[in-house]
Amino acid sequence: MKLETVLQRIPCTIIVKGKGFDELDLRSIVASDLMSDVLTAVDDRFLIVTSLNSEQVIRTADIVGAPAVLLVNGKQPQNGMVRLAEEFGITLLSTPLPTYKVCYLLGCFLESK
Amino acid sequence: MSTIPINTQESPPFLLDLIYRLKVKDVMTKEVITAQRETPLRQIQYIMKEKGITGVPITDDEGKRLFGIVSMDDIIRALDGGYIQDPAERWMSRNLIVLEDDMPLQFAISYLDKFRYGRFPVLNKDRELVGIITSRDIIIALLVEVNKEVEKLEQRIVQPPSKPGEEARRIYHVRKYDFENAGKASAGIKKLLMERNLDPKTLRRISVAAYELEMNLIVHSEGGTLTFRLEKDRVEIEAKDRGPGIPDVEQAMEEGFSTANEWIRSLGFGAGMGLPNAKRVSNEFTIDSKVGEGTTVRAVIYLPGQSAS
Repeated sequence: MKLETVLQRIPCTIIVKGKGFDELDLRSIVASDLMSDVLTAVDDRFLIVTSLNSEQVIRTADIVGAPAVLLVNGKQPQNGMVRLAEEFGITLLSTPLPTYKVCYLLGCFLESK
Repeated sequence: MSTIPINTQESPPFLLDLIYRLKVKDVMTKEVITAQRETPLRQIQYIMKEKGITGVPITDDEGKRLFGIVSMDDIIRALDGGYIQDPAERWMSRNLIVLEDDMPLQFAISYLDKFRYGRFPVLNKDRELVGIITSRDIIIALLVEVNKEVEKLEQRIVQPPSKPGEEARRIYHVRKYDFENAGKASAGIKKLLMERNLDPKTLRRISVAAYELEMNLIVHSEGGTLTFRLEKDRVEIEAKDRGPGIPDVEQAMEEGFSTANEWIRSLGFGAGMGLPNAKRVSNEFTIDSKVGEGTTVRAVIYLPGQSAS
């Protein structure tokens, strides 16, 4: 799934354009507010969907090789989060939708393919 | 008031640079507690006691125009002389030595050393009171800056290989609850390995192990060190802490078992996955723990294309 698809299907604002933003290909989606769980994901190159807006989300993304983070529930990033996303080249998005709705919309798209 | 023991001419270049780079306005206390000319000294005495301060600038109603200052000494003299009910105006010190907010910190340090006052009011270009600076403010600001510099220097120290076959070693100091720096050691390890063109899967396993162990030190330990060793065929990450120790290691290794409190969970950690996850990505994994003494966790990851012994 292209990042572009996410941008088309989910109403969201782009906070940080990370490395390779225009051609970003996402292999899967991990939705969790627990970074400990994200760290156990087997894939890499996935989109993290979370309502946690701390620096640790970006650090976790960097460690597991997730190129993009989508904040849900209209959460705005904490100060350090933007700086760190820019430093690590990780794309940071924010949507007013809740986690379930985001997963539903993206899930429908993936099913239909 | 003792002087600040910094030689403003011959100190190390870093310190000189610092005391010229920092401005008075970066260091001063901005919320100045003031009193007016008609305020009785008795009331100022109470303000000092309540706020824990030793000097109160006397200003106009807006707290901008400075007329004088009443210090603890003035109050003691007033108690001695029996005029504590008098208005501040009658007894305040009027010959004030003030600093300007744009002056380098060096000025404040030499003023404190040169004059006997414990504090200096700070004025802006329009001669309005914008702050007050004491030796305490200066010491705190210098400590914070010097700490940052020491930390940078520590990170730069590379321990020479001590074992035969060891290609690199880094020791990171990790502090309890220091979430601000959480992940920095693992990021450093990852960066070091990226320069070696390791395959992404192995790199990821090493990063996850390092990050989990680093977070464990921050969340659960009293602080300790994260040591990274790179050998020809393996990477070893060792987390060694100063306590409190794990009472039941077997239980700690169970997925979902966690002793983390609510606020740690609110940061996205403490799901009880740390140790099992670190073990999952490792080829060798050992925990050595003694309650009251500390825990040493050692994770070894073999590098592909190398036959590990």
